[in-house]
Amino acid sequence: MIPGKPRSLSMPSYWFGDVTGGKCTPAGSHDPEYLSFRLDGIRTEMESFCPPAWEAARDSGFVSSRGEYIRVLREVCIYRAEKALALVAARPEQELIQMVHMRDQLDEVINLVTGRALEWHAARSPEFSRKFRTLKGKRALEALVAGGSPRVRGIATGMMHLSEVKADLTREIEQMAGEVIPNCTGLVGGVVAARLLAAAGGLEALARLPAGTIQVLGARTALFAHIRSGSAPPKHGIIYQYRKVHGAKKGRRGKVSRTLAAKIALAARIDYFRGERDEEFLDTARAAVKRAAGESGS
Amino acid sequence: MIWIDGVLVSRGEGGVYGERMMRGHRVWDPYRSKLAAYYYLGGEVSLESRMRVLYLGAAHGTTVSHVADSTEVVYAVENAYAPMRDLLAVASRRKNIIPLFADAAQPSSYAPIVEEVDLLFQDVAHPDQASIALMNLPFLRRGGVALIVVKARSIDVTKKPADVVHEVSHKLAESGLYPRRVIWLEPYHRDHAILECPRD
Repeated sequence: MIPGKPRSLSMPSYWFGDVTGGKCTPAGSHDPEYLSFRLDGIRTEMESFCPPAWEAARDSGFVSSRGEYIRVLREVCIYRAEKALALVAARPEQELIQMVHMRDQLDEVINLVTGRALEWHAARSPEFSRKFRTLKGKRALEALVAGGSPRVRGIATGMMHLSEVKADLTREIEQMAGEVIPNCTGLVGGVVAARLLAAAGGLEALARLPAGTIQVLGARTALFAHIRSGSAPPKHGIIYQYRKVHGAKKGRRGKVSRTLAAKIALAARIDYFRGERDEEFLDTARAAVKRAAGESGS
Repeated sequence: MIWIDGVLVSRGEGGVYGERMMRGHRVWDPYRSKLAAYYYLGGEVSLESRMRVLYLGAAHGTTVSHVADSTEVVYAVENAYAPMRDLLAVASRRKNIIPLFADAAQPSSYAPIVEEVDLLFQDVAHPDQASIALMNLPFLRRGGVALIVVKARSIDVTKKPADVVHEVSHKLAESGLYPRRVIWLEPYHRDHAILECPRD
């Protein structure tokens, strides 16, 4: 069952059929797949557009009642929406985005819960000095597992387990980012590259962003504060997390992040259009970032 | 519109997004829904059982579900992935929601589907909300009304909200869609207004 050729512009085509000279030729079937394929072939000029009238569908015999019209139309539209959603979901970068969001949220949860558990532990045992309260991460958890009350110990053990999950997830992100966005990953590492991808909303979106936007992705608050009240514009957003940026001398960070953003913009386009790691590009890009940082690039 | 002791409700199957129930009716919260806020603040364009509605910016389908409770059919347009998934779940329980995964700025993509409607409701985050309303005007019958949510902050954060609304109104009026009333949604939603625009 193959619908006819694309309909001409002078003949209004609707989802249920084609109308010529006040007469409607109904589509051949109620099958959602068939009707959806038909819809794909319809081009509508909005200038001369006249919305479909369900009466035309009834008079042509396509449906017998208003209820049937809505029922068949709804089935087609749900079919189309589900198909389109499946297409989006099939893009591997969408999973990468979910993974990096999860990683960052795990990080937040672990820090929050660990901090609270330390407070609790300190309240129970005053000898747990201020020095211990500033303990962070794994060492804090180890201290709690060793010396906390049974309940605190249970919580700390849970968080240690969660930290392991986070470490595994981070490895998976690095690996997947290396496949999905190899050049961005080559420049800034998998996690930072995945965060940029998440902030842009997808690989195509990232590839279409100008370098200036990539530079301040993730610095929305600072950017709007700048626009609103004229405070200094942000020099960097997510890319600050890359060691070459936050490790650069203070006076150089702006320069480094500007250069790096320009190279990421290129890398994203190679990733999107070619999808392969380009060693030659990576070498020159890294050298440019090095030069910006004031190190001697080759 | 159905009010029970001063609380706006709609009649339909509950449990769509965790809304409260009140004597068998679904409570329609003005803090969550801009359209509900509009009715709380004296909006007069009521939903009626024979109405056909084009809803642009359907999002997760929470407001859409209430609109569907009170009207004949709702064409719900949404173009973001995650909200659309939720909207589909809502549409699966309501036979009069037609979900459209499309961009409201590209009406030709759903033109062969959407019939002439009595009410155009628009709640999109877009810098040019006036243009989107005007592009979708061919779907609105003469004598029908467009309710346009103006999110002053998503148009231009540097301008005063009142100025933004004024600009949008002006642009609509230039094209023959005259806002007859502006309803600010304080205290339910900050920096949001609904423009009531009848189509002559």
